[in-house]
Amino acid sequence: MSRADRLPGAERLKGLQGQPLAWHIALGIVAAAVLYLVTSSVSLYDNTIISEIAWYAIAIAGLSVLTGVSGQISLGHGAFMAVGAYGAGLMMEHFRLPLIVPILVGIAVATVLGAVVGLPATRLRGPYLAGVTLALALAAQDLPTKFSSLFNGDTGIIVNQATPPGGVNPERWLAWISLFGAIVTMIVLANFMKSRYGRALKAVRDDDIAAQASGLNPNRMRVLAFALAAGTAGLSGGLFALWSGIVNPNSFSLFLSIQLLAGMVIGGAGSLVGAWWGALALVYVPQWTNSVTSHFSSVSAITANVQGAIFGLLIIVVMMAAPTGIQGWLSGGYRRLRRGRSRTELEPVLPLDLDLSSTSTAPERTRP
Amino acid sequence: MLEVSGLSVSYGPVAALSEVSFKAEEGSITAVLGANGAGKTTLLRALTGLAPVKSGSARWASNELIGRRTEELVRLGVAHVPEGRGVVTELTVEENLRLGALWRKRQPDFRQLIERTYDLFPPLAERRSRPAATLSGGERQMLVIARALVARPQLLLLDEPSLGLAPLVTLELMRTVKELSRRDGLTLLLVEQNATSALSIADAAVVLSIGRVVITGDPKTLAADDQLRHSYLGF
Amino acid sequence: MTLFIDLTLNGLTYGLIYAAVALGLVLIWRATRVINFAQGALATLTTYVAATLLDRSLNYWVAFAVALAAGLIFGALTERVFMRPLYGKPELNPVVVTIGLLILVESVAGAIWGSTDRGLTPAFSQLGLTVGHTYLDFSSFDIFILVSVLVLMGLMLVLFRWTSLGLKMRASAFAPEVARLLGVRVGRLLTVGWALATFAGALAGVLVAPLLLLSPNMMDPVLVYGFAAAVLGGLDSPVGALVGGVLTGLGISYIGGYLGSSMETVGAAVLLVVVLSIRPEGLFAAAKARRV
Repeated sequence: MSRADRLPGAERLKGLQGQPLAWHIALGIVAAAVLYLVTSSVSLYDNTIISEIAWYAIAIAGLSVLTGVSGQISLGHGAFMAVGAYGAGLMMEHFRLPLIVPILVGIAVATVLGAVVGLPATRLRGPYLAGVTLALALAAQDLPTKFSSLFNGDTGIIVNQATPPGGVNPERWLAWISLFGAIVTMIVLANFMKSRYGRALKAVRDDDIAAQASGLNPNRMRVLAFALAAGTAGLSGGLFALWSGIVNPNSFSLFLSIQLLAGMVIGGAGSLVGAWWGALALVYVPQWTNSVTSHFSSVSAITANVQGAIFGLLIIVVMMAAPTGIQGWLSGGYRRLRRGRSRTELEPVLPLDLDLSSTSTAPERTRP
Repeated sequence: MLEVSGLSVSYGPVAALSEVSFKAEEGSITAVLGANGAGKTTLLRALTGLAPVKSGSARWASNELIGRRTEELVRLGVAHVPEGRGVVTELTVEENLRLGALWRKRQPDFRQLIERTYDLFPPLAERRSRPAATLSGGERQMLVIARALVARPQLLLLDEPSLGLAPLVTLELMRTVKELSRRDGLTLLLVEQNATSALSIADAAVVLSIGRVVITGDPKTLAADDQLRHSYLGF
Repeated sequence: MTLFIDLTLNGLTYGLIYAAVALGLVLIWRATRVINFAQGALATLTTYVAATLLDRSLNYWVAFAVALAAGLIFGALTERVFMRPLYGKPELNPVVVTIGLLILVESVAGAIWGSTDRGLTPAFSQLGLTVGHTYLDFSSFDIFILVSVLVLMGLMLVLFRWTSLGLKMRASAFAPEVARLLGVRVGRLLTVGWALATFAGALAGVLVAPLLLLSPNMMDPVLVYGFAAAVLGGLDSPVGALVGGVLTGLGISYIGGYLGSSMETVGAAVLLVVVLSIRPEGLFAAAKARRV
């Protein structure tokens, strides 16, 4: 029942919106064309930045689907990136294979591990799951040191640059690969969210019992979501390995996991477009703060810390000023403009309600 | 006297109460009746600052209630027993009762007050050091009313005290409520789905329908008027 | 055998520090359903305050008291400034704000005091004690750690169980609306709760600094293990925080001692997964009253 082989003609372009997969692929092709033009016209350095944005966006998008759609929180997403990076990196180090193979292996290993970790996730809620994933992120950092012979300890493994076909610069080639990976990821995730499974996950998030009653298995759905997010992080890790040229434990510190979470919430949990805002913030804010501080201060204790301070402050400010993230704020503004009145309807990102608001606005409950 | 005038509440674009006005004499029981979603609970929540009031006023004694913070109202002699979930299940029965008296800085007669409450509701005395989670539905309802009394209110807002109770227990409860009002000169606003039992003890009645007052008047005439009963109270 | 005794004593010492951190997390979680990731960073800040006072050669106990008082103040400020506007917003937001605060506070601490490790004079000798003829890896200062945290736990128990303030705090945590209807100023008590929680964290900070060396991110691992301890014990239970803390401390100490220090984090993760697979809401999960 593949929808792809029923691709409608141009005159039925409108009808595409009713067919998520075809519609998402069409959007992807447009995006690819635009990005091809962009990568070809900007400098090689900017192409490296584009690759970085792409692997960030991939990881954040997976996390976003996990949190936004299924309501689960992972504080250890960097660990799955590490798995993907080491998986792909080791394959590239030991075998001569087309690039796609190690990347796919990285994704596969991360997905399997995600499913395994997802198993306890079926029983855990909110902060309990956060605790487990946090512990996982820490453990992931120590494992390469423990199994030094395989992972080469703290030094890590060297990853050779992807060899581009004749005439293409390696930086540009990497940007293309990363963007291709990102576009495919976005198509898959967008389709997943619109699919029966994605809707089922939302149902599970909103009401376990109701979901069960309608014949869904909430536990299986949660494992699926976790595995999907982990696989996405695996891809991100593989691309990271190519981008950075070296894979070592330092790259996947707890800070990376926290950055991903922050990027997701800054962009807007549950939104794929938001993932890109988050990635842009993670890449450009540090750059910007570095250049600003080098102008103003030469005291090393201060310059070394301004980046962190501004990053922290940014997270706080965005969360307080735009609780649904940049994307939520933008689409809220767009909706306001279209309706011509200042009414905001913000869908809560997570279902669990806090009974802390100073005035509870729950309407009169109805009873049977 | 409680004097509510022109009280409107809306949740976003949805109006829950529109221009509700009525008076309740001091020391009387006023039954607030109406079908599901008529706005009965919203009315009580509006009086204690828990619902977003758009306009209108509610004067009690010489104080305006609207616009005050919820936690100030008990200091004006207003106690609100919310529907169903008023018991703090994690605390013991006695802790729940103590909670009612905490708003006073000094509580010289505190012990005496609690003992008097136990006299009024003997089942609570037996379970005073048990977690409130172990109480039955009827006992929970007793506990929240008892706790409200420990706060020594002059105006008591009761939201569906009979909810989920057996008819006999409801009858008993109504009798206690009536006695309380007589003994302490309490003014009572009694929201009820169970119109018959509420009308049996009420001195006045207010009937709401879709957020508006449709009838105010004598409970006996109301109970006797089949037409009204059918159209607004559904029995 | 001496190794086992040393590891046990060492595990207990760290365990009680984790317990103090866990208690702080539990207090805040119970009252506001927020995991305060900034708790460790705030504790680092208060410890730097103590270190600065000690550098000016003030009495240890003055510095100790000022650090704890600073904890109260920082906690109250955090609640008022950063948390209050976010109640009722999506649940993840306040949590992410505490992460932002963690990064911000650590950077500020680094900018003020520099990022290099420094020592902190302990209250008592850190030399191991000798019992009979056995030298133990357990010092007077370690005893001080045990006593301080147990005193803290005792005070919190008294406060919550037997005082009006404690009753009000419990009521506002469990049923904020009911508490408000009974005249409890819930908002004010949330501030008190955050202050007390950060106080507990501040104690952990001053106690752990002589063991770990003070640096802007000194508390990161302590917070993670404290969080693991809180999760292990059950996030709603202060008793769980104590038990969870001790279990985590002992567990990590044994794993590190017998399997090597690089297995500590892995062991902690496995321990957490195993316990939570059996009891998904921690060891001291409250029997859930059915809410209809």
